[in-house]
Amino acid sequence: MSKLANYIAEKRQQKPILSMTHVVYGYPTVQESLDWMATLLEAGADFIEVQFPFSDPVADGPTIVAACHGALHDQKLTVEQCLTDIGKLGRDFPNSRIALMSYLNPMYIYGLEKLVKRCAEENILGLILPDLPYEQAGELRAYCDGNGIDPVWLVTPVTPKDRLAFLASEARGFLYCVARSGVTGNSKHNGGTQQSLDEYLAEINSHANAPIGVGFGIREKAHVDALKGKADVAIIGSALLDAYNKGGKEEGLKLFNSLFNS
Amino acid sequence: MQSNNGYYGEFGGSYIPEILYASQQQILHAFEEAKNDPTFIAELKDTWQNYSGRPTPLTFCKNLTEHFGGAQIYLKREDLNQSGAHKMNNVIGQALLVKRMGKTRVIAETGAGQHGVATALIAARLGLECTIYMGAKDVKRQYPNVFWMKQLGATVVPVAEGSQTLRDALDEALRDWSSSHENSHYLIGTTCGCAPFPEMVAFFQSVIGEEVKEQSMAQFGQYPDRLYACVGGGSNAAGIFLPFLDEKVEMVGVEAGGKGLELGQHSIRLSHGLGSKGIAQGFATMFLQDENGQLQDTHSIAAGLDYVGVSPIMAHLAQIGRIQMTYAMDDEVVDACSLLLKKEGIIPALESSHALAGAFKDAPNLPKESRIVINLSGRGDKDIFNVAKAMNDATFPEFLEDYLADYKEHLADNQGEA
Repeated sequence: MSKLANYIAEKRQQKPILSMTHVVYGYPTVQESLDWMATLLEAGADFIEVQFPFSDPVADGPTIVAACHGALHDQKLTVEQCLTDIGKLGRDFPNSRIALMSYLNPMYIYGLEKLVKRCAEENILGLILPDLPYEQAGELRAYCDGNGIDPVWLVTPVTPKDRLAFLASEARGFLYCVARSGVTGNSKHNGGTQQSLDEYLAEINSHANAPIGVGFGIREKAHVDALKGKADVAIIGSALLDAYNKGGKEEGLKLFNSLFNS
Repeated sequence: MQSNNGYYGEFGGSYIPEILYASQQQILHAFEEAKNDPTFIAELKDTWQNYSGRPTPLTFCKNLTEHFGGAQIYLKREDLNQSGAHKMNNVIGQALLVKRMGKTRVIAETGAGQHGVATALIAARLGLECTIYMGAKDVKRQYPNVFWMKQLGATVVPVAEGSQTLRDALDEALRDWSSSHENSHYLIGTTCGCAPFPEMVAFFQSVIGEEVKEQSMAQFGQYPDRLYACVGGGSNAAGIFLPFLDEKVEMVGVEAGGKGLELGQHSIRLSHGLGSKGIAQGFATMFLQDENGQLQDTHSIAAGLDYVGVSPIMAHLAQIGRIQMTYAMDDEVVDACSLLLKKEGIIPALESSHALAGAFKDAPNLPKESRIVINLSGRGDKDIFNVAKAMNDATFPEFLEDYLADYKEHLADNQGEA
């Protein structure tokens, strides 16, 4: 069985819902982003979703786009250094896990085979690449299978039913369920959901072979509470970054605690 | 040119966020059906003819031919389309497809504004809601086009992210589409993006080359020996080249050399080892990027060529050597534009002037009996401010100052009435 899925299943024995907090690597600087990740891990975050910045992040909304562009503005970030840095962080916090999120191009240029090998060495067990659909990922899937790494597939409220069933059955570490149409964060490009989140999650649960993570639009405790019993991991990204931008680690931590530690 | 499941050699494909899967499949099927439906094709041809003025002429340039003393020079006059550029061929096709799919809104990205204006024109005619994304820098460079888009009823959104040019506009259009796909169609202006966009846009643009085939046979009894086209996204080049792929016709694509060959100063992706393969904005192609896979800024005097990627079709044809790629520098482009004005009385767009510059370099060395066709993809009226500046026209600032003073006076006088 998947190491990542095992970890989630074990932790879920103690908690009704796990937390995955998103941090942009290198924003505003590499050291500050690593400090922020450490702060979240100290506060009990079960996962950090580390985003390696890309110049053209098409699935992200304004908050994360600005952070990615900010991170790339006057420093050269390398995938190699990022993996080394977050690998060390993972070893410092053995009770939590780190997943790597990015767009395909920086990973493709680094080399997909090398990427997966290095992830295995650094115990980065999950890989989230939103612009690499399942059908195009044959090569990556093969490398992942050989190294115990899980590519994380996304499903959305507008994913056709047969495709949703297929992707859910293919999920290994966890399945990333996008809660609504649009891009990440508060944006003018946000759609509503056509069906209730409960129905959507029930449909997914009937097919999923792996734990379920839910992201996009989670900003308040009520959103997290609503997922208990229906999902395993609540993924919080732009809201956390908004808080961090507003009042630094202190404000960010306040939001994290209000969502997961109260 | 038929793709292999969305791929042209190692380029193309479909690398899009999962949220767009269903919409992309819908377009794939709708396009497959439409292109085989005689009713759709008839409506397309009728609109091309009676709305856009097709077929566009193939014009022999006697004076230029004598000037260079080499190949006989012809121009394919896409500048005479409604909207002043070849962009119209594609927007008509896609907009008719939008109606067929029952969607009510179109989104488009634009660089120079030509595709934005073309989209706004057809949206007005077909009663579609229209939102145009345009880099904030391009909005400033090409304000006259922005003005017309607004007058046509389109919403123009300046994109202030990143380099504030075409590629950021494309990113933002994709983000809009991610939330609006149920009622909106992303009307891509060039042979880029995820499948089936490159194939679909090339299909609609191929009318250019098909007409050149007929016109060259009628005018001189054979196909041309060489074709020239500028390559930004690649749609006008695909349009004139693809119908000749199986013929003995040489093809030359001309990219923007800009101000120099340093990264950030040009838009040369397909020659001289300056671009490298990447996968972004929905497809695999040759991009200008750094060693860490971050896409880089580009430059051209012609906003329509100022793009970091290129059509996967062009990338493939260049890789297998079926087309030759070259480039023209900003100053050569202005000279070529000037020469066409004086010799033939035609005002070319700065984008198209790249194709002219590329052809003018070769023309003197080609045999007198050979014939070349240059795709004059757009007209240059829109470039009046940039061309005046590039030509160092001394009287233009005076005109602008006087005009501005008069304009302000007019606004002040009319404020009471508003």
